[in-house]
Amino acid sequence: MEFDPDIVIRNLPKLLDGARISVIAFALALGLGAPLAALVCAGRMRRHGFLAALAGGYVTVFRVIPEAVLIFWMFYCLPPLTGYTIDGLWSGSLALALVSAAYLAEIFRAGIQSVPSGQWEAAKALALPRRTLWLRVVIPQAARLSTPPFINFLTELLKGTTLLATIGVADLALQAYVLGAQTFRYMEFLTAIALIYFVIIFPVARFAEWMEHRLAASTR
Amino acid sequence: MIDFANLDFSWLIKFSVPLLWGLWTTIWLGVVGFAIALPSGLALALGRLYGGWYLRLPILAFVDVVRFTPLLVQAVWIHFALPALTGHSLTANQSGLIALSLHVSAYICEILRAGIVAIPKGQWEAARALGLRQRQTFAKVILPQVWPLVMPPLANVSVATFKLTAILGIIAVTDLTKAASRANTFIFRPLEVFTVVALVYLAIGLVLAWIAWRIERRYGAARQGRVAPAGALTVPVLVGGQRGI
Repeated sequence: MEFDPDIVIRNLPKLLDGARISVIAFALALGLGAPLAALVCAGRMRRHGFLAALAGGYVTVFRVIPEAVLIFWMFYCLPPLTGYTIDGLWSGSLALALVSAAYLAEIFRAGIQSVPSGQWEAAKALALPRRTLWLRVVIPQAARLSTPPFINFLTELLKGTTLLATIGVADLALQAYVLGAQTFRYMEFLTAIALIYFVIIFPVARFAEWMEHRLAASTR
Repeated sequence: MIDFANLDFSWLIKFSVPLLWGLWTTIWLGVVGFAIALPSGLALALGRLYGGWYLRLPILAFVDVVRFTPLLVQAVWIHFALPALTGHSLTANQSGLIALSLHVSAYICEILRAGIVAIPKGQWEAARALGLRQRQTFAKVILPQVWPLVMPPLANVSVATFKLTAILGIIAVTDLTKAASRANTFIFRPLEVFTVVALVYLAIGLVLAWIAWRIERRYGAARQGRVAPAGALTVPVLVGGQRGI
């Protein structure tokens, strides 16, 4: 079997269309998921009460249910439930956003909880207002600690956007799959996109790993 | 809006055979995939730690390629692209099982490697001073200490394996998701079908997560005393397990 890389170059516009869809899905999931994660995290920070239970339940449910199943559910069930026709890109991204919110909330929470209690006590002793306490003391330190898992999460989310292919959203993975089926050149197209994902994710994941080691070394 | 008085669940009986068959496929794929991935992950971790460069480099490359590309792409690649190379085409279930166990074994390799590395050097030295051979040391001294360390992340990976099975529908593995979509094309009751399916997945996932949580609680303390590189024992996030609750 001969390997023909030219066929990938010739179909680059279609792959770029797919890449655009993947980027949109990624941005939507992150843009909707991150604010929701902040809310869920706020709920998780409480010890008792309805909001704490709600946030806890949310995190459990959305981390346990398979993303692909949730995407299917959103795709098929949102239109009859809401009465609107909803594009697959939107329902799929919304499913990813809900899952992202659960994971991000836990990442944020872990960051906040790893700020030493002495920092809280010192801020209280200085009678810092709550706003200043959060903005100037807790969040800067929490953000530093949450950055590596956050970056890791971004790589997982990018991999997760390929799941939109299961409901027929023409993302990068589905474009390559369809082009492969049309030309019967699966090897070229599928290897090409595997390479694309690898080239994007590898340096980012390695950077996060390096940062994690550095942070661990500095806090030891 | 939907009329809730009109919900119809009679299809559950009519399509119970294909749906249960799909559920069975999901379960055995997850269980067998994990069962294959565990020993292969251990073999990979050993090769990476103690093999020569000719073993270490390919394993490093394999683990990174698998971890840093989506399972969906791997599954499609194995099912459609690989036959052009080997000349043998595989059934969907075979391709799915191969993709799943390869994917999971890479993550297990990383977890076990981190776990082995976290055992203090003094353990090796003490065993050596007592006259144990290297192999004996590993099997009798090191590995028993590694297990409690890696149990919580491994439990999370088992949850992840179950979640990943739902992706394999893309190569026409008739798991529960795929069986449900097929049933839905006959009855066209998407709301009922996919809600029931989602609840079934949720129920299985909750049971697995509960077991993982129990394991975490039982063995989580073992981790504290060890100087593991921070985060090395963490698992993939989105299409993966979950960081300890």
